[in-house]
Amino acid sequence: MIEFRGVNKWFGALHVLKDITLSVEPREVVVVCGPSGSGKSTLIRCINGLETIKDGDLVVDGQRLGDRATNMTELRTEIGFVFQAFNLYPHKTALENVTLAPIHVRKIARGEAEASGREMLAKVGLGDKFNAYPSELSGGQQQRVAIARCLCMRPKIMLFDEPTSALDPEMISEVLDVMVGVAEEGMTMMVVTHEMGFARKVAQRVVFMDAGAVVETGTPEEFFSDPKTDRSRAFLSKILRH
Amino acid sequence: MIWFQLQSLMGSYPLALRGLGMTIALSGISLVLGTILGFALGVLRTSGSRLLDSIIGLWVDLIRGTPFLVQIFLIFFILPELGVELDAFTAGIIALTNLAACFICEIVAAGIRSVPTGQVEAALASGLSQWQRMRQVVLPQAMRVSLPPLVGQYVLLIKDSSVVSAIGLTDLTRVGWLVVQRVPNGLLVFAIVGIGYFVVCYPLILLARRLERRMSAAHGEVQL
Ligand SMILES: Nc1ncnc2c1ncn2[C@@H]1O[C@H](COP(=O)(O)OP(=O)(O)O)[C@@H](O)[C@H]1O
Ligand SMILES: [Mg+2]
Repeated sequence: MIEFRGVNKWFGALHVLKDITLSVEPREVVVVCGPSGSGKSTLIRCINGLETIKDGDLVVDGQRLGDRATNMTELRTEIGFVFQAFNLYPHKTALENVTLAPIHVRKIARGEAEASGREMLAKVGLGDKFNAYPSELSGGQQQRVAIARCLCMRPKIMLFDEPTSALDPEMISEVLDVMVGVAEEGMTMMVVTHEMGFARKVAQRVVFMDAGAVVETGTPEEFFSDPKTDRSRAFLSKILRH
Repeated sequence: MIWFQLQSLMGSYPLALRGLGMTIALSGISLVLGTILGFALGVLRTSGSRLLDSIIGLWVDLIRGTPFLVQIFLIFFILPELGVELDAFTAGIIALTNLAACFICEIVAAGIRSVPTGQVEAALASGLSQWQRMRQVVLPQAMRVSLPPLVGQYVLLIKDSSVVSAIGLTDLTRVGWLVVQRVPNGLLVFAIVGIGYFVVCYPLILLARRLERRMSAAHGEVQL
């Protein structure tokens, strides 16, 4: 579903992705972790073209990014992206946030889009917040609206960039629960997170990145109980300490 | 004496109305055209093309950095030399529209730049086209920042329209000049001219203030 082959990327002189080779199968859930600045965000932002790659191949849903035949705007409609900072549209209500793209991109009739938007919001536990503006919602609620906004497009892939890092601790689990639900329905997911409980529960694989390179890959069991490299051990001891 | 002058002034009221009408027509037409053009330029300026950005930027700086009177003279007296015949009204409209577009372009561009990149990325990620991103996500939020200075700018432009009297258009200011030749009381005449402008501008000033107050209450989008 997602395949990196020898992908490299630079930000000016900074070699931010180093020869990444990695693939995600349909219905697979892959968790990406690693220290801050290791290139995790850049990695998943490449998948929907928020960043462009310098060399190597990146094939998403059968289409090679950067090919002339690949319509990036169209491909993006198949990929949901959940941001660390939610990025809800502040001037639109929760329902308007989740129906905007279905109406304007998918060309679904407003009534129909609103019906499925309500359904989706109810599903993420916000059945009473259809008409609330983002500023009237807590962080956890906003992030759930953001997830619903992606799901309303019926995407084939969902990408999450540290979806719970901006949340107060007591709101983390409500968002993780929604994500677990999405995973259990068979979504192909790539999730940048340090939430090890989530990884153990639904991930088939954990990818550990450091300094722009994939340093280690393994099942959550292997990775957490028996990390293979010094760098992953150092990283795990840091995040498990608190 | 004053009484006599006032009576004589009363006689000039059809002329004054004509002047007021001319000022309103000139400003009204130029502000509408200038707003459309200014929005287009502001959107183009922030569209990501370095070339477009610098061309528009240069033009805006040129217009902002030269006196409006000089611009009007250039359009009215120099263009005909190059074979473009213009009546004074058209020349006035062109000059004012251009001036308005340049100021509005900057206000709109500043508003667009104030929208966080995360907003554009969210819109991009959900597959909205460039126009849809502008229309649905960026502009409504940019207006929150742009609307009060935009209305304020309208007031300045209406006042700037008085400069067109220099090419012979009978606007409010020129009516003042005409009347003062018959009624030699400049203070009185131009006080009345000033009131004429104020009557047109004051509602806009009030609107600008009202909009500014509404900003804090709005959820990022402003409805008039
Ligand atoms: N737009 C950018 N321009 C320049 N450098 C960037 C940009 N985005 C990220 N970086 C740099 O790239 C590196 C990797 O960033 P990122 O992918 O955000 O890491 P992570 O998500 O793992 O914390 C960091 O050193 C960061 O400073
Ligand atoms: Mg990051």
